[in-house]
Amino acid sequence: MLEARSLNRAFGSLVVTKDVSFALDKGERRVVLGPNGAGKTTLFNILAGELKPSSGAVLMGGRDITALAVAARARLGLARSYQKNNLFGELTVRENLALAVATARGAAGWIMRDTLSDAGIAEDVRDAALAVGLTEMLDVPVDAVSYGVRRQLEVGIALSTRPSVLLMDEPTSGVGPGMIQAFHQLMHTLPRELTVLIIEHDMDLAFDVADRITVLNYGEVVFEGTPDETRGSPMVREIYLGEWDAHA
Amino acid sequence: MFRQSLLKTLTVLAILAAAIAYTFTTGYFGKELVIEAATLAILAISLDMIAGYGGMISLCHGAIFGVGAYTYAGLTVLFEVNPFLAFAAAIVVSAAFAFAVGAVTARTHGIFFIMATLAFGQMAYVLVFENKALGGDDGLAGVPRLDVSPLGLDFNNSVQFALFAVAAAALSYAAAAWVLRSGFGRTLVGIRVNEARMKAVGLTVWRTKAIAFAISGALAGLGGAIAAQQTMFVSPELMAWMVSGTVLMVVIFGGIGTLVGPIVGAVVWVFLKHEISSATPYWHIVAGTVLIITIVAGGRGLYGQIEYMVERRRLKRLAAAGVPSTATGREDETHA
Repeated sequence: MLEARSLNRAFGSLVVTKDVSFALDKGERRVVLGPNGAGKTTLFNILAGELKPSSGAVLMGGRDITALAVAARARLGLARSYQKNNLFGELTVRENLALAVATARGAAGWIMRDTLSDAGIAEDVRDAALAVGLTEMLDVPVDAVSYGVRRQLEVGIALSTRPSVLLMDEPTSGVGPGMIQAFHQLMHTLPRELTVLIIEHDMDLAFDVADRITVLNYGEVVFEGTPDETRGSPMVREIYLGEWDAHA
Repeated sequence: MFRQSLLKTLTVLAILAAAIAYTFTTGYFGKELVIEAATLAILAISLDMIAGYGGMISLCHGAIFGVGAYTYAGLTVLFEVNPFLAFAAAIVVSAAFAFAVGAVTARTHGIFFIMATLAFGQMAYVLVFENKALGGDDGLAGVPRLDVSPLGLDFNNSVQFALFAVAAAALSYAAAAWVLRSGFGRTLVGIRVNEARMKAVGLTVWRTKAIAFAISGALAGLGGAIAAQQTMFVSPELMAWMVSGTVLMVVIFGGIGTLVGPIVGAVVWVFLKHEISSATPYWHIVAGTVLIITIVAGGRGLYGQIEYMVERRRLKRLAAAGVPSTATGREDETHA
């Protein structure tokens, strides 16, 4: 469903993505692990089209999408959420979701009708709000909500477009244990045919939701396997525990 | 997001009533002021649509206004085209010119966007200034007004022409409000607030910007075609960047991103200018001072400040009544 073929990307002499290849089946849940600076977000930016790779290709549903811009990839069903909240600040939660829903439904250019009062769009907005637990918050301005709510909305906007491939960049970064728990639940309620690629630091979450895990280090794929294989891998243990040691 | 609040409706209706009453009671010069205020209001509404709601601070709206004026004048004077046809052509050509500006500048932001629009405006200005067929710097004289005699009307009658200009301004407001309340208008605000995210959810941003410019340009061209008929004369000065700067000042003075503020700004601007100019030659110093006070006082503008206070009280009342949301009227609080 989503495939990376020998992706390379360098910023000056710093190689951040080095010959990265992997392929996700339809409906697969893949978690990308790796210490800080391993090139995870850069990889996401390449997959979503915000960065062009120096070489290599990105394929979606077998089609080469390397040359497509962000918006064109989104229209093919590729959605992403961001590590740093990237919301419509002064608007309400409802308006945030409605903008995404309307765009995905091809209603963004309606001149004769209002997308905010359209029944079909309102239904998709409610579905997305329900999925990320924001039903009670719909009419609150984003500027007035807590950080946790913004994280929920960040994922909600991505889900609003009814994507076939969802990229989530550290969806639970900076939130408390309660919300991580809620996010576990969200992951299990997502449609089974939705292909998901997540960057995640929370190990419990990673092992809980992943079908397979890809580990990046210094821009390279150093390991790929099932959660069990990952847990048992001395190399992964060294990368992660080594880092923890260094910080301890 | 745009919301046609009660305050907006009442303010527009009050100005409309005052303009009509004033037109019937004032002398010739007063009617000229009404027409001037009406055309400036149309241009200011046009600019607020894309600057206040779309976040695109255009410095070529004077040029678009001029394209409308020159299209009307050129077709009627040089080619003796039916004025109604020329009027429609003025709107279409202005929209096309604006679409081109919007499409080309869509990828630029901030100061670069402003400079790019200014460059477009200056190119149009120089083109007209140097073009002998269009009268060069002398302009074109003898521009006819719309021939409405089949309706039993006469636009050479200054009352009727003033009322026509006021009606055009009212229709411009209604058209702009309609567009801003549509799905397209929501998308436009989305681009201003977070353009990158609009792209990420799949929007072809440049196209929305170009179409917004075209709609705005159609209104600006309408204003220009009326201005050409008022003076029955067009000159390159209509397109000078000073005009674009003045409209932007009027929009900010009245309240950017409120759609009603630009009308209030245009009316107050025109009458203030007339009163002060008759007392002292230093109108521009007064205008500059007024603008600086507006910006230092929070930048909401004359109408914008009133709307802000009314809206804040309404939200407090709602909160006191136990309504947790602000769903009904976020728009008026900030400028969206």
